[in-house]
Amino acid sequence: MDRLAKRYLRSRKIPGTTCSGCGLGQVHKKVLLAIEQLGLGTKDIVWGTGIGCAGRQIFNTWKGDNFAGTHGRVYALATGLRLALPEERKIILTAGDGDAFGIGLLHLLHCARRNLDVTVVVADNFGCQSTGGQYGCTTPRGYVTDSSPYGVREPGWLENGLDILDMLRDAGATFLARHSSFEGQSAVDSCAQAIRHKGFSLVHFIYPCVTHFGAVSLQSGDKARIFRWFEGLFRPEAGNSGDPRFRSGVYHDAGSSRPEFASSLKEWTRTVRREAAGRD
Amino acid sequence: MTAGRYALHLDFEACKACGYCLLVCPRKVYAPGTAFNKRGFRPFRVTAAEACIGCLRCFHVCPDFCLEVAMAGEGTNP
Repeated sequence: MDRLAKRYLRSRKIPGTTCSGCGLGQVHKKVLLAIEQLGLGTKDIVWGTGIGCAGRQIFNTWKGDNFAGTHGRVYALATGLRLALPEERKIILTAGDGDAFGIGLLHLLHCARRNLDVTVVVADNFGCQSTGGQYGCTTPRGYVTDSSPYGVREPGWLENGLDILDMLRDAGATFLARHSSFEGQSAVDSCAQAIRHKGFSLVHFIYPCVTHFGAVSLQSGDKARIFRWFEGLFRPEAGNSGDPRFRSGVYHDAGSSRPEFASSLKEWTRTVRREAAGRD
Repeated sequence: MTAGRYALHLDFEACKACGYCLLVCPRKVYAPGTAFNKRGFRPFRVTAAEACIGCLRCFHVCPDFCLEVAMAGEGTNP
């Protein structure tokens, strides 16, 4: 185990049960490096997880307090926690693409609308890989999957001019970033900014599924080939119109332009109580 | 393994032999493994630690928390 695993993760969960070449550990590592960079410890953070590969593999790895939400509902649980916990206690949620942009999208949008002080780490492997490799709402169009033998026919959230991060920005999210799990310090810096951010923050990570997306959609279990395909996705010169290539880095940072939900609600509660006490 | 400015440690039992370290290393520090670990993987090996320049690319892409890069003799991280 490396120093991050020793310091922050439960030893019995490491190494996890991810497939060889799965990038989920790369995503987890970037967040842990950001936590280390910010000088935070296990008592400073409560970690929530969703369902699927991302939820199952990250669940209960954190040495501190953690919880698992039902599919797509981890944001609702986190809202309650945010109201109950002291403001300095951070909440990080790791969710998959279905948890975030599929079944959980409505909860996620409301979380952004409220500008709830949580950090959502979306680990996106381009589909429903833990259930056998069915296509999802971020699977690139045209790719063959277990449930689309002639290629995905519907547009995903990340192509033809659509970008799910635009929707989140319009819903009120105040910090958004996107990276490949293969990236280094730049991804760590975005995670650190997201965790430090007072308000709703989300870092969208694209990571490789070797077993399903690689073997079926890319027609290769060769990790070198899969690695090069993912590297190509994030070519800096590539735009996001008409193909699934996009840029990495901070996508949107609105700073403290909107009030944070839990702190403003607590302040409002104090005001109401003061006024009620004055009437008595 | 320490043979230069940097000490590289690869946890043999934790490695799942994905090979990303080999793919991203610009100095050919790693080589394919020859022996199997208890999980049935053939972990990669550090064969040229003296060539390491401490870029940390391997550390960032290792998904299984089995690779550590530290300053030789100091134990601190570059």
